[in-house]
Amino acid sequence: MSETVQVVSFKLGSEEYGVDIAQVQEINRMVAVTHVPRAPQFMEGVINLRGQLIPIIDLRARFGMPRAEHTKNTRIVVTEIGSKRVGMVVDSVSEVLRLPVEQIEAAPDMIAGVDTEYIRGVGKIEDRLIILLDLAKIITGSEKRELESAEVEATAAA
Amino acid sequence: MPADDFFDRTEFVQYFRDETDELLQSIEGDLLRLEQFVDAEAVDAELVNSLFRALHTIKGSAGMLQFAAVQQVAHKLENVFDLLRKDRMPLTEGGITLLFDGRDVLTALVRAAVGGGETPAGVDEYVERLDAFAAVYDATAQAIEGPRTDDDADDLRPLDDAQVSAFEAEVARLLDEAERRRKEESEDVPAVDVAAAQAAVDALFSAEQSGAQAAAAAPFAAAFDQPVTLTLRQAQGDMPKAAAPDVKRPVSSKNQTIRVDIERLDSLLNLVGELVINRTRISDIAATLGRELGTNGRGGGGGGGGVSASLAKDLSESSALLARTTNEIQESIMKVRMVPIGQVFDRFPRVVRDLAKARGKEIHLEIDGAETDLDKTIVDEVGDPLMHLVRNCVDHGIEPAELRESRGKPRHGTIKLNAYHEGNQVIIEISDDGGGIDLQRVREKAIRMGVIDESDRLSDREIVELIFTPGFSTADQVTDISGRGVGMDVVKRNILRLKGVFDVDSVQGEGTKLTMKLPLTLAIIQALLVRVADELYSIPLDAVIESQRIDAADVRTVHGGEVITLRGQVVPLIRVAEFFRLDAPRDPNKVMIVIVGLQGRQVGLVVDSFQGEQEIVIKPLSDVIGRIAGISGATILGNGSISLIIDVHSLVASAYGTGKAARAEFSGV
Repeated sequence: MSETVQVVSFKLGSEEYGVDIAQVQEINRMVAVTHVPRAPQFMEGVINLRGQLIPIIDLRARFGMPRAEHTKNTRIVVTEIGSKRVGMVVDSVSEVLRLPVEQIEAAPDMIAGVDTEYIRGVGKIEDRLIILLDLAKIITGSEKRELESAEVEATAAA
Repeated sequence: MPADDFFDRTEFVQYFRDETDELLQSIEGDLLRLEQFVDAEAVDAELVNSLFRALHTIKGSAGMLQFAAVQQVAHKLENVFDLLRKDRMPLTEGGITLLFDGRDVLTALVRAAVGGGETPAGVDEYVERLDAFAAVYDATAQAIEGPRTDDDADDLRPLDDAQVSAFEAEVARLLDEAERRRKEESEDVPAVDVAAAQAAVDALFSAEQSGAQAAAAAPFAAAFDQPVTLTLRQAQGDMPKAAAPDVKRPVSSKNQTIRVDIERLDSLLNLVGELVINRTRISDIAATLGRELGTNGRGGGGGGGGVSASLAKDLSESSALLARTTNEIQESIMKVRMVPIGQVFDRFPRVVRDLAKARGKEIHLEIDGAETDLDKTIVDEVGDPLMHLVRNCVDHGIEPAELRESRGKPRHGTIKLNAYHEGNQVIIEISDDGGGIDLQRVREKAIRMGVIDESDRLSDREIVELIFTPGFSTADQVTDISGRGVGMDVVKRNILRLKGVFDVDSVQGEGTKLTMKLPLTLAIIQALLVRVADELYSIPLDAVIESQRIDAADVRTVHGGEVITLRGQVVPLIRVAEFFRLDAPRDPNKVMIVIVGLQGRQVGLVVDSFQGEQEIVIKPLSDVIGRIAGISGATILGNGSISLIIDVHSLVASAYGTGKAARAEFSGV
């Protein structure tokens, strides 16, 4: 038995993505999200998760895809990276997969419009392709962008 | 070293630090009082005794922990007070300065010892100065009293053989006694390592009989319970200054207060915050349940409905009880976190004294309301801004004595520090009777710095506000006290960060009064809930002046901005929905306005509707979202929904952000 990684797989449009199961805290149905004005555009808002405020990223918006209507399959994948908790809105969650390490390849230059900066690799299982995401990049990337936009705002105000 | 077997060193070091901090603080206070006796006929004996005792305790504890440098300096200072209290030495200006310096050296040494850092510079030089100073009087004392053993030998005098054997016999008896009792009630009396104790006794009576070694034996003494320690002290006869008398304190269980890590209180407070949220939620559920069973229960007609209804009633009652208890817990924890502002004020007498001396000024400091309580976090944060302001008063506020006389004022200037509660806030005032802010000079400086133009017409208030421009200073030259131009902007920003308000009131030639209003606590506030574009927002109630519903026709436009006239005053409006770039249709007939005020500036916030007041627990927005202009945090309401908290400071700033100064001031907030 070769070494495997466990990933939670989910869908955005027709593409299938995966995140390391160790980083997934829980998966919830869509709940009311409180909009945070003037936040970056991919920031859906915040939710109350048992008394804690969790910021929610619309992963479609994060990857520059068109937003989709929320359906009964829409889920919030709550992830934990370091001390940061972030929820990600996805179209649907598929399953927990075991991917043999040798089945994971480096990311090709461009996948379905997603910047390869956020991609750790691509896993193959039978005839499916699972795009493995680098969550830390997705979160820190958002902070960087936020800073930039704040600077732009400050300059604009001056 | 047997001592390590007897006690947990880290815990003792922590205790030593806390205890010594308090003692050093009291030493400083006593020195300031003692200073009034300079060149007087006689000094206050009780004061000198108190200083002597404090130093003695520090010496003892330091010895026990083998902080040799601390012990040495404490010992030498103690000697000086010994000379003073025996009237062998007059109290001179030079002497008191030396003692103040000594207190500082000691503070630095304690820091270094506790923190494990390097010995601070200048200690050796200070010890030499102190020795040279004391030697003069010591010589006189010796001439009268006969030679005394000096230095590390402390005041320990060689004991004669009879004393030694008497003491040894007593120790042997005590060891036997301890051993016997340990066998009898083995759990109550700590095990005494007889061999180690014997070694400690030997050390005590070895040839040199140094203070350090006496101290080394001390932990051994500490291992006995109190009566034994007392007997030991008696046995010591005329070697009263060994460390033993002081070491019984750390192991005393009779203390009525405990020190608690502030982090534990913080986490407790967070938990209570959660509790408050859930409490409200349970009340809501109970109410809903009661209503639904009231209607459906009867409709169903079954016997089960009756049982459910009574259960719902029980739930509602116990949730009311829960609410009361939760409120009490919340209040108690808030109270536990409260500490007197005096903890900060205590630093200032010394600071003012030193600075006034350095600047050749005569200044009295008056302190009022040192007992005023406020949240520990705020007390910690407010120290630096206050320090800066007090320094400013000394440096820029109070004029030199000659100038004061020529202005018909008393030679000595007065700085007043005052603190008191007002509603849910604490007001801290710093005032001086100095020259006030020179508006003309501030204006000129601002023009030179390019903050304003020559042609700008500014009100006096606006000119005063200019001192909050980063890099602003009117001091003619940079001194080591202030005048580098870093300061007022930082001070103001720190206070704003504490959700405080800062105000400057200055009359040229008569003085300056700085007022800060701070919240009692940071975590829980009263808020006005408003609806904007279908979301609920919270506005901190302390900033709210009033809420008004006015006709849309009363809104006028001035320079492209909307304003209303309120009792003759023109108040700019901010449409919250538009500020937050939300889609919300304007009501063509009426406008709901919340008037908020900050430092005399008022702004009307246009909202969709008012939703009442509520106590809210402030939670920061995740740093993943970053800082959002106009939002200072969020809270979870009773029904589980989230309300964002409006940052009144940044909204007011944006409404008044026409002057360059205001922009510079708020860009970082």
